[in-house]
Amino acid sequence: MDSEQNSKLDGAKLAILSNRLGGICRKMGNTLLRTGRSGVLNRAKDFSCCIVTRDCELLTAEESLPIHVLSGPDLMARSMHEFHPDLKKGDVFLHNSPYHGDSHPADHTLLMPVIDDDGVHHFTLLVKAHQADIGNSIPTTYHGTARDVYEEGALIFPAVKVADNYQVIDDIIRMCRMRIRVPDQWYGDFLAMLGATYIGERELLALGTEVGWGILHGFTNQWFDYSEKRMIQAIQSMPAGSAIAQSTHDAIPGTPSEGITITSKVTIDTDAAMIVVDLTDNSEAMACGLNVSEACTRTSAMIGIFNSVENSVPKNAGAFRRVKLHLKDNGVVGIPRHPISCSASTTNLADRVQNSTMRAMAEIGDGLGMGEIGCFCPPSTSVVSGIDPRNGKPYVNQLFLGHTAGAGAPHEDAWMTMLHAGNGGMCYIDSVELDEIYTPIRVTKRRLIPDSEGAGRYRGAPGIEVELGPVDCRMEAGFVADGNIHNPLGARAGGAAARSDQFRRTADGTLERLEQCSQIWIEDGETLVSIACGGGGYGDPKTRDMERVLRDVAEGLVSRERAADVYRVIITEDMEIAGPATQAARAG
Amino acid sequence: MRFACDTGGTFTDLIVEGDDGALALYKAPTTPNDPVLGVLDALALAARDRDMELSEFLGQGEMLIHGTTHAINAIITGNTAKTAFLTTQGHPDILVLREGGRIEPFNFRIPYPEPYIPRALTFEVPERMDGEGRVVQALDKAAVMDIIGALKAQNIEAVAVCFLWSIANPAHEIRVGELLAEYLPGVPVSLSHILNPALREYRRASAAAIDASLKPLMERYLGSLTERLTAAGFQGRTLVLTSQGGMIDAIELAGAPIHAINSGPSMAPIAGRYYASSECTEPNAIVADTGGTTYDVSLVRRGRIPKTRETWIGQPFRGHMTGFPSIDIKSVGAGGGSIARVDDGGILFVGPESAGAAPGPVCYSTGGTQPTLTDACLVLGYLDPDYFLGGALALNTGAAEAVIEEKIAGPLGLELAAAAAAIVEVATENMVQAITEITVNQGIDPADAVLIGGGGAAGLNSVFIARRLGCPRVLIPETGAGLSAYGATISDLTTEFRSIFFTTSEDWDEEAANEVLAALGAKCQAFIDGPGAGAAEHRIEFGVEARYASQVWEIDVPLASGQFGGDADLQKLIADFHAAHEEIFAINDPSSIVEFVGWTASVACKLAGAPGGRLAAGVGPELSGSRPIYFEGAGIVDTPVHSPAQLLPGREISGPAIIETPFTTIVIDPGARFHLTDAGSINITP
Repeated sequence: MDSEQNSKLDGAKLAILSNRLGGICRKMGNTLLRTGRSGVLNRAKDFSCCIVTRDCELLTAEESLPIHVLSGPDLMARSMHEFHPDLKKGDVFLHNSPYHGDSHPADHTLLMPVIDDDGVHHFTLLVKAHQADIGNSIPTTYHGTARDVYEEGALIFPAVKVADNYQVIDDIIRMCRMRIRVPDQWYGDFLAMLGATYIGERELLALGTEVGWGILHGFTNQWFDYSEKRMIQAIQSMPAGSAIAQSTHDAIPGTPSEGITITSKVTIDTDAAMIVVDLTDNSEAMACGLNVSEACTRTSAMIGIFNSVENSVPKNAGAFRRVKLHLKDNGVVGIPRHPISCSASTTNLADRVQNSTMRAMAEIGDGLGMGEIGCFCPPSTSVVSGIDPRNGKPYVNQLFLGHTAGAGAPHEDAWMTMLHAGNGGMCYIDSVELDEIYTPIRVTKRRLIPDSEGAGRYRGAPGIEVELGPVDCRMEAGFVADGNIHNPLGARAGGAAARSDQFRRTADGTLERLEQCSQIWIEDGETLVSIACGGGGYGDPKTRDMERVLRDVAEGLVSRERAADVYRVIITEDMEIAGPATQAARAG
Repeated sequence: MRFACDTGGTFTDLIVEGDDGALALYKAPTTPNDPVLGVLDALALAARDRDMELSEFLGQGEMLIHGTTHAINAIITGNTAKTAFLTTQGHPDILVLREGGRIEPFNFRIPYPEPYIPRALTFEVPERMDGEGRVVQALDKAAVMDIIGALKAQNIEAVAVCFLWSIANPAHEIRVGELLAEYLPGVPVSLSHILNPALREYRRASAAAIDASLKPLMERYLGSLTERLTAAGFQGRTLVLTSQGGMIDAIELAGAPIHAINSGPSMAPIAGRYYASSECTEPNAIVADTGGTTYDVSLVRRGRIPKTRETWIGQPFRGHMTGFPSIDIKSVGAGGGSIARVDDGGILFVGPESAGAAPGPVCYSTGGTQPTLTDACLVLGYLDPDYFLGGALALNTGAAEAVIEEKIAGPLGLELAAAAAAIVEVATENMVQAITEITVNQGIDPADAVLIGGGGAAGLNSVFIARRLGCPRVLIPETGAGLSAYGATISDLTTEFRSIFFTTSEDWDEEAANEVLAALGAKCQAFIDGPGAGAAEHRIEFGVEARYASQVWEIDVPLASGQFGGDADLQKLIADFHAAHEEIFAINDPSSIVEFVGWTASVACKLAGAPGGRLAAGVGPELSGSRPIYFEGAGIVDTPVHSPAQLLPGREISGPAIIETPFTTIVIDPGARFHLTDAGSINITP
């Protein structure tokens, strides 16, 4: 019997069930991290696990990557229902179609409907993981210059059944093994994802049996109502207003020469307790791989909002009722239509959507928004491939060798290791030693760059320099950098972060500048030099707490000259604040 | 006579083991400014209990085993030494970047953690090895001498050295260590490859940094402890508990004080393992130790205590990883002092904020104004206001009722008792999640595990937790209120040696593996002949850290012996690995190559006699026969109160019931059954 209508859970029961569902996501994630085969999973943790309701609404995505989950799981679950109206216990579907709700083709997602012994569908689990390779036409999972999905070359699975009654359908596996580079690595990752999915299903079935499915569905309704109520309160505590902000991605082949400018119009309506983001004033889709999928467009606008919402408001369909998005059909951000390529959809332009939205929020009032978070993906996060001379075997994997990118926020300095806006800092940074074992490379340098932070009342992260090269072999590297021309801006009088750059250091030591979007060979004896952006600052640097400035100078992150020029804090050679001189400088 | 003394956040627990094996438990308040004083206070209590002078009492002691929070407190309060970090040129930000990662991706009010050693005290040394141990760049001695000059000028008190690939070739770290010893004498140094020979430079660097920074103060602390004990009349051996669940001589610990970070809590699973093996039939045990501010969970899997290499000081990703293998303990902010509150949306939260010992729960009448878990337990009747700590602290029930009524019951629209029950339920759920997380990580099914409760508040909701998790049995040992201290009395003198050697199931090199194992075995033997001389017995256990090809997180697989004798032994190891992987992660991949990375040998020397000593019966006031207690679903029930001394071993009694001792209260819910065991534990069938 469905007791959903009759049950009204108290605040304690709600907290407990929410915690238990979050626990299932954590359990799935832990399994995936420990058992994944590619570095992108087991070193960088580039994956997410979440639960959606039987109505395809996001319920919980505990500790996931923001860009993976706020929107997308809902859309993917809907397409699963559309293509497979009769779901059975033990079904699993592989989904990576950005035209049907996935973020980008490199994010392989397994969906599993949770169905009880009576055949009733209750929830759907998702495990989404960025792959080391997906069979693109070139060895990278971010094909920035692909003019369409055909040139991109990925195998696209729009919710394709990959397990029936818990048995893997080998036809799909054989297809993937013929197309995806280093197939054993892919298959190992697939098994790890499947293990995480099965563990989640087992746990959720046990929970439903224990507390009763009716109670659980009643819980989801109440939890959404609670989340909405919290969101209403959060919005009503904000200043009302409307603002437009822009953020521009540097040009790459396939884009206009001035780059791609994203325009975000944000309206905070405190009376109606709604936040509206209008992204319709943007270009048509372009013949490159930067177009942003619907899932990532929606998610990016939401990240731009939720980065300013009190952290304890749950991020689920209940809170999302208070967000309205206007998207452009077939826009470069919006709802791209097949066969437009969305290869780099989770990062480059999506970050620009988040940055413009956050800066529009900041325009509406102090205390909202952030500076621009640094740009992705520099050569330190290349997809590298080649033949490992130590064993003669081919390798392909994305490196996460060093990233900062964090932006100044209204109440605190940057979280340094953000990676990029959509990631929220959730990914790990590779150990140099691990990368040198698993890839035939040597990392000769990884260091923060002084005076490269976006200054502000709360400052952005400094940039980072990473230098690496192949050892006893040549290596192919692919990256789609941004931020050389349009470096990360500050918000509310905060300063911009320093520019990104990338070079090849040839065998004789000369530096040659490389194209921002490159797929290149680095020869034995050469190195790849990656200068990655930090993030923009928040608020006027002249109002920055002097002790914080002193600490940055003492730590070698900011020079005394920059402290005096930009922050107007005069620091003596003995590392003390010169009080009167500083007061005079700050008054000026 | 032997003493085991565990300095906790609130109390210093002392267990005295008489020469006849009889035990006695004492608790003295911890004295944070001078923790040795708390130790001496507890010893004085024990001496008084025997009508002896302290010096006479101490003079009979052969051994004092000490668990200390001194190291962890120094880190938390920032009172460690001024420490420099020497690293490979080009890589100065190892301690700044750590390994990345974050929790709460939408929370921008949390500061990014400062590096354990500031950049200002980080020095880049021109040198480089590669993964095969080849010298890529020779060590620049002149540059090292310049750095040493700078260290001198800055009055550096300790030095941590971590070079890339020092585990593949330690020559440069060793040379720098020699130069530091020569030109910076008296300044303690920690070399990463000796302290923590593990892959991943951050973990090695962090371990070295933490270790070096603790050396000066731990040397002083342990020196003061031994001196003052000696001055008070103690002539025995002083040992200190380690994060690895063993003990080492105080002087040894001063040389590698990072081992003291989880000094006390690591003993609870040692005690738990003993009780699980001697009193229970379940293959596994979950050991839960309750305190005033935290709830610590550890495990026993088929007689072994699982370890972790990811021990954080502070919250994960917001603090520092010790980088060191230690007993896997999951700690959550859920203790008696955890504060309950209702948020704007009407949801009840309990913890992680804690009223701690000061201001304390409202019912202590020591200035607390926020309702806590202890207040809720009092309102429900779980605690007797007149018999808390044996009557040492009178509790104010009225104040607890008033604050829960105002701050919880009102906002939630619940009756007072239901609101108090809700507080207990939410706190319990936090504890359950902590248990779930660690059991998941270690692949243990609670349905195959006994729940062993330690700490003063363990008995309040253990039945409830066991039901939630499906544990078939709860055991509250007689020594439960001092579980860590009891663990210390039965712990072994231990150490572990570790070596990196890479081989695979495909390119198996038996000869080399045997060489590595033989070298590890020889180190163990030297330990047995050295600190372990005179031990009643000793044992060496070998293990290997293994994974599937291209995985990066290893799992521990025990080895049947310290040498391989042909293909059958290898096949058994491979089969054991597949089984362990399946057990922990629900999948295995028998077609995949298995890689063997780290080899370990741990040695344990038994210094204690046979365990199983009984606690001398406590003296306390007569207990009342019954009192009204609220149980969810049953309402207020007049509940019989038992003292263990009045129970007959083996006689089964049905709940509801309360069992009370001066140090603990055990709540038996309706529907549960319990009996006193021959060993004095309370065995509950939830």
